[in-house]
Amino acid sequence: MMKARCLLRAPYSSSPLVSSTLHRFCKPGNKFASQNHTLAFSSSVSSSSVSPISSSPSPLSSHHKPQVPLFLRPPIYSATLSDLTNFFNWGKTLASSVGSSFEQIDNGPDATLLLRELKWFLDDAVEDSSLILHLGTPQNERFLSMEVRLRAGLDQIYQLWKQRIEERRPLQYIVGCEHWRDLVLSVEEGVLIPRPETEKIVDLVEDVVGKCGVLREGLWVDLGTGSGALAVGIARVLGKSGKLIATDLSPVAVAVARYNVERYGLQGSIEVRQGSWFDPLMDLEGELAGMVSNPPYIPSKDISGLQAEVGKHEPGLALDGGVEGMDHLIYLCMRTSTMLKPGGFFAFETNGEKQCNLLAHYLENAAGSNFRDVSIVSDFAGILRFVTGYRK
Amino acid sequence: MVHFLARRSTLRYLILRQTSKLSASMSTSQSGPQTTNIFTSQLRQLRNLSSNDSVLASGNVISHLIFSGNPTNLPKSAKVLPGYNQRSLISCGVRLFSSQAAAATEPSTSDGLTVEGILANNWTILDESENDWKSHASAIAQSIHLIKKRLQWKKLMVRLDLLSAELNKPNLWDDPVHAGKISRKHGSLMGKMKEVMAFEQELCEHIDMLKLAREENDSELESETMKALLRMRRDSKEKELEAMLSGEHDSSSCFIEVQAGAGGTESMDWASMVMQMYKSWAQRRGYRVSVVDEMPGDIAGIKRATIKVDGEYAFGYAKAEVGVHRLVRISPFDSAKRRHTSFAAVAVIPILKDVSSRVQIKESDLRIERFRAGGAGGQHVNTTESAVRIMHIPTGITATCQNERSQHQNKASAMAVLQSRVDQLEMARQAQMNAQHTESLTEISWGNQIRTYVLHPYRMVKDLRTNYEVSDPDAVLDGDLDGFILSFLSASLDKDEDQYAI
Repeated sequence: MMKARCLLRAPYSSSPLVSSTLHRFCKPGNKFASQNHTLAFSSSVSSSSVSPISSSPSPLSSHHKPQVPLFLRPPIYSATLSDLTNFFNWGKTLASSVGSSFEQIDNGPDATLLLRELKWFLDDAVEDSSLILHLGTPQNERFLSMEVRLRAGLDQIYQLWKQRIEERRPLQYIVGCEHWRDLVLSVEEGVLIPRPETEKIVDLVEDVVGKCGVLREGLWVDLGTGSGALAVGIARVLGKSGKLIATDLSPVAVAVARYNVERYGLQGSIEVRQGSWFDPLMDLEGELAGMVSNPPYIPSKDISGLQAEVGKHEPGLALDGGVEGMDHLIYLCMRTSTMLKPGGFFAFETNGEKQCNLLAHYLENAAGSNFRDVSIVSDFAGILRFVTGYRK
Repeated sequence: MVHFLARRSTLRYLILRQTSKLSASMSTSQSGPQTTNIFTSQLRQLRNLSSNDSVLASGNVISHLIFSGNPTNLPKSAKVLPGYNQRSLISCGVRLFSSQAAAATEPSTSDGLTVEGILANNWTILDESENDWKSHASAIAQSIHLIKKRLQWKKLMVRLDLLSAELNKPNLWDDPVHAGKISRKHGSLMGKMKEVMAFEQELCEHIDMLKLAREENDSELESETMKALLRMRRDSKEKELEAMLSGEHDSSSCFIEVQAGAGGTESMDWASMVMQMYKSWAQRRGYRVSVVDEMPGDIAGIKRATIKVDGEYAFGYAKAEVGVHRLVRISPFDSAKRRHTSFAAVAVIPILKDVSSRVQIKESDLRIERFRAGGAGGQHVNTTESAVRIMHIPTGITATCQNERSQHQNKASAMAVLQSRVDQLEMARQAQMNAQHTESLTEISWGNQIRTYVLHPYRMVKDLRTNYEVSDPDAVLDGDLDGFILSFLSASLDKDEDQYAI
């Protein structure tokens, strides 16, 4: 396990843009923060091709019914093994035709990865997934007329795979789930697909609560929970006595997160509340033992150049962090000291080294020396990714 | 259960008759005090119970003796028994009171016939349907002989003695992990030993019973005993197979790895055919198969792949496949339609069941590399690629996994492969230290060619180790491998004559 915990380095920056940002957020003020927040929200909606959010996020609007992931749907369809083999061969040809073209355009998937995805897709769509080991091999020839039970109609299976290749629709939306840590989380359009980098936050929390029983017993929050990945992961680390509140502005995300919480039987420890950042947590000021968030942090100008699977399909609301990508991170940091109780822990995911340095510097110097042990932690790829620390 | 009840009723039947008159066979044996004869015959009947019943039976015989004879005479009368009776008494006593020394005595019939003796008689083995006890007995005795050979009987006894000595050390439990390991090993070897002894014992008892039935003209008993012998003869075939998989890790699950030899696409295609053969074989045997790691070839096939085969005795069987597999065919990748020879290497790694015997791997000894999407990562990238490669720095052993759907799971899978590889290396090292290491089954080198598959100009698969061959390569490539596996296992276990002695 990589635990490259970097000591804070003083931010050095000659860029006028960065120093002006620093200058701006060195003057804490709620007015600025809320204004900035509103700005970010509107910009994210406009830049997003998929905007499942209604304009007035109120608790009443969360009537979205979450989709059941493909692998959990009943196997009420069927096809012969021969039909399925034909699909498999067609799907392979389609995937192979991609070669490395997506990779060259926008760092998308290559044919090898798409072929693996095709198998995973079938793993989820076919009831008896042991069949997939032998698809398209001579060994199966004797059984070609055998009926295979499916969780989606064959037509739909063709259509979905076409969407994967031609529209670059992410596999996770096609199968309605993402494998993350040891979890299988339901996801759908309108909810960010949890990233492997974010798995690390759960490890960080595990370390912290392992060292401090008081924090394990306390109340945790996951801000902007999306699919509920961090909430579910952390609640499992906290154990039976764990208490956690997950918030999200998007009613789709709230519905999906609730569904994932239920699927892991964590209704007793996790409460999902709808609303912007701390808005639904006003009753808990100064009472939180821990706070984590993976807020939108991509600078607005980078959104258009994103890999098609991300830019065309994932919710802009969960990606766009404003001009410098730091609107939400700064807002969260400003409120951290008032929300956390003394000794409380926080961990935020960022866009990388630059954002980490700025945030760490802000937390150490500008935030009225309310924090201790502010650290920057790198992700598995060695990119400085997380800022963590404790309230004094 | 039916079997067991039948045996019980035979016993009761005999005891009833015993009170009316002494058995004719007993009266022909060397004469001694009558009480002694009753005692021995009762003991002999007692042995009719299977070894599973021995605890229950020991209580029975003692109460029987208390009621029927003079219990204080017991040790004395035991001493005055004539030679062969004494032996059987000891073996009984041993079974009742101390299983440790059981190995010292060899089961025999009342007139001194042992399994060795039966073998020496060279009785003709007839078809099962022939009701000839000599034929049955001879077949069973041959099986017992084979089983002992496969279990490496002499070595087994030596190891058992060593383990017993270890167990008797007063400070053994100072190290509870070690003590647990020793006592488990001892228990498992003792179990194997007892099972064979009990089987031998059972054979002798049936022969006794049969003679008795004939002397008494008891046709019902005779046919019952004959049936029991036939049943034993059939069971013995199963026991022969079991004994073939008596290695320490044979019952474990395993990883099977296939690597393409030199020769580009043709070899990579062959490697994927070999991998497919194992997937089918494993599925036929009812094992669960999952792909752990797969590196596809550029045009077709695989450069290498690892599958996990989950189930009882997966390693025991699959270890017979270790080595280089050679294919001769007209390559579909050669536009000139020439004949090609390709190679694929197969390695098999057991997944140790006993956690305490695994090598403790330190987290600090690992270098973990994960797939990097490149660029900014995080929210910028959505990829299902989550490959993990782990290197164990002290040994240089690496393991890769990219077939799981989360990085977390890929790491866990790669770690399991790495653990098994490190364990295997450690096992090989220990085997070398113990000088037991002749030729490790799991060692692999490109010189170690074990089997040839010819698709052209003729069709044949031949094992170069056993010369076992079949003319239907399609069936073999479809996973019909048991013939090859069993013939190799029996050949490799049965050739070593000097390891077997009683």
